[in-house]
Amino acid sequence: MKINKKWYIVFVVPILIPFIFTVILPFFQGIEFSFVKWNGLAKAEKVFVGLQNFKDVLHDDRFMTSLGRTSLFTLITVVLVNVIALAFATWVTSEIKFKNTGRAMLFMPYLIGGLILGYVWKYVLGQGMTLLAANTGNESLFFNWLSDPQYAFIAMIVVATWQMAGYMMVIYIAGLEAISGDVLEAAKMDGANGWKEFIHIKLPLLMPSITICLFLTLSNCFKIYDVNVSLTGGGPANSTEMISLNIYNEIFVQSNFGLGQAKAIVFFLIVAVITFLQVRLTSKKEVEI
Amino acid sequence: MAEVKLVNLKKVYPNTEKKKKAKKGEEEKKINLQITDEGVVAVQEFNLDIKDQEFIVLVGPSGCGKSTTLRMIAGLEEISSGELYIGDKLMNDVEPKDRDIAMVFQNYALYPHMTVYENMAFSLKLKKTPKDIIDQKVREAAEILDITQYLDRKPKALSGGQRQRVAIGRAIVRAPQVMLMDEPLSNLDAKLRNEMRAEIIKLRQRINTTFVYVTHDQTEAMTLGDRIVIMKDGFIQQIGTPQEVFDHPANLFVAGFIGTPQMNFFDAKLVKKDGKYAVEAGGITVELSEDKQARLAANNVEAQDITLGVRPDHIVLCENGIRGRVDVSELMGSSVHLHISAEGKDIIVIVPTNGAAASFPMGSEVNLTFGGNVAHVFDKDGKNLEW
Repeated sequence: MKINKKWYIVFVVPILIPFIFTVILPFFQGIEFSFVKWNGLAKAEKVFVGLQNFKDVLHDDRFMTSLGRTSLFTLITVVLVNVIALAFATWVTSEIKFKNTGRAMLFMPYLIGGLILGYVWKYVLGQGMTLLAANTGNESLFFNWLSDPQYAFIAMIVVATWQMAGYMMVIYIAGLEAISGDVLEAAKMDGANGWKEFIHIKLPLLMPSITICLFLTLSNCFKIYDVNVSLTGGGPANSTEMISLNIYNEIFVQSNFGLGQAKAIVFFLIVAVITFLQVRLTSKKEVEI
Repeated sequence: MAEVKLVNLKKVYPNTEKKKKAKKGEEEKKINLQITDEGVVAVQEFNLDIKDQEFIVLVGPSGCGKSTTLRMIAGLEEISSGELYIGDKLMNDVEPKDRDIAMVFQNYALYPHMTVYENMAFSLKLKKTPKDIIDQKVREAAEILDITQYLDRKPKALSGGQRQRVAIGRAIVRAPQVMLMDEPLSNLDAKLRNEMRAEIIKLRQRINTTFVYVTHDQTEAMTLGDRIVIMKDGFIQQIGTPQEVFDHPANLFVAGFIGTPQMNFFDAKLVKKDGKYAVEAGGITVELSEDKQARLAANNVEAQDITLGVRPDHIVLCENGIRGRVDVSELMGSSVHLHISAEGKDIIVIVPTNGAAASFPMGSEVNLTFGGNVAHVFDKDGKNLEW
């Protein structure tokens, strides 16, 4: 038992120390900042303002709009990502040729990373579309999507879905492959084919994967930043500014560290509560096999 | 209820499968599977007429093709060539769900997210059967299998034996024309396996349907089957009632496979003296019984070198016979199993103790003999010369 404890310490401490210094302490320091007015300069005085920053957050129209926009973005993207990822996973686990190539291709966008992906799509939806318009003459379809608030928002959804679907697909593949072949064959004998098999057998048995994927997509969508910065930069006219970018702008552009940090705390609470509820809800439906 | 007819059924796994299997191990492949240019032939020349309500058992060692045959009947495996009829209908290209068959799997294959009731009701629900009829059928089946008290439980909360009952229940609620069972007792411990075997025999009396049962356990085959189909390397070796295959095995493989402990084999000579057939082994000559004489004569069998087969419980100890030395003595309670070295072979002899403690110390010398009615004569290719 003593040996076990020693090993426990040997393995945990090296990761616990950086975790404390890079996550736990900054988190509490962030809470402290949310009660002061400060412009971020070391020499500048931090003025304690109590809950004023939080009151300001609630009256910050740009923040509230951004929160609404991020919620809508999350709602649509979570559904899209999971539906597409599950469809892809079902497709590449079926008896098709080139399924491994398919898996690799669909997973690739995740490896590229949000920032680069955003810049690639910025070119495709911006200059690429303009070029297509010039060459085809079809300007109703081919135009710079990123200059139109509505289309820029759609572009955000498209790119985020493109990025996340591959990763979620891998989780769904693992879930699908964990379903016993005998159970599926038994379902086939019982008369469940195709859609019925999917609804009655595969989907309920996929609940552990669904819990993980929903959690990851929910939190990733709420926190989306890289794609937002590189693809639209929040524009045109802040019309695609998501919460993370709004907080970044508040802190590092407007230099309102206190207000920005208060926003971050509010944002943290929202994401924590939503994902906690989601995990509670979906994990109740999981079955042990 | 239906007849099942299998005509020249063949299953070939194309060469891609062969490559995959080759990786798993050459040994297994060489022993059990037929490798040809077209691929791995799992089953071939499979001809069988299963009568209505008959209980057929497919038995054989791993890789002999018995499960593949069952899966072809189920529709889970495509038939490479040949014809499968259930009733009078050709079923080769019919979907599993439309074949009116039910299957019980080795590892139960219950739906883990459904209760026992839902598991059993699932197929009927998909057929849009009215709820009251589903309820009636599920409860009837649960009653038969004594699982009524578990209807609200999930499979995880059941023991292995209970799960297998549910799996059987799921199959019988559909009142299928044919019930397929793929090694249903293999996952159970020995005691439970014996109990469930008796349950299946009882079940068989209660539901009138045709059974096709796959097992590698010859005891199950002998106790359950109306007829047994013994398979090896994708070929049928013999079809017959349990008594027939036990008394008249078609070849050495069947002789060795059916019966525990397995039949003993000696290198011997078949001789003909005064028109009578006799076997010479280990210095003794035993004249064969009248019925064996008649069968050998009918086949015009010549005197020749043979492999002689005698079952362990048909060998008796005597004063003068084949000389042997006791290697191991296993007390089984009502009998003793003696492992004896004789004629360069390991011979097993079952000696009844009749209540008295028998003592056969290791290394003790014994003499063995057998009757002419229990000697099985096989030619050097392994074929039973009486056939």
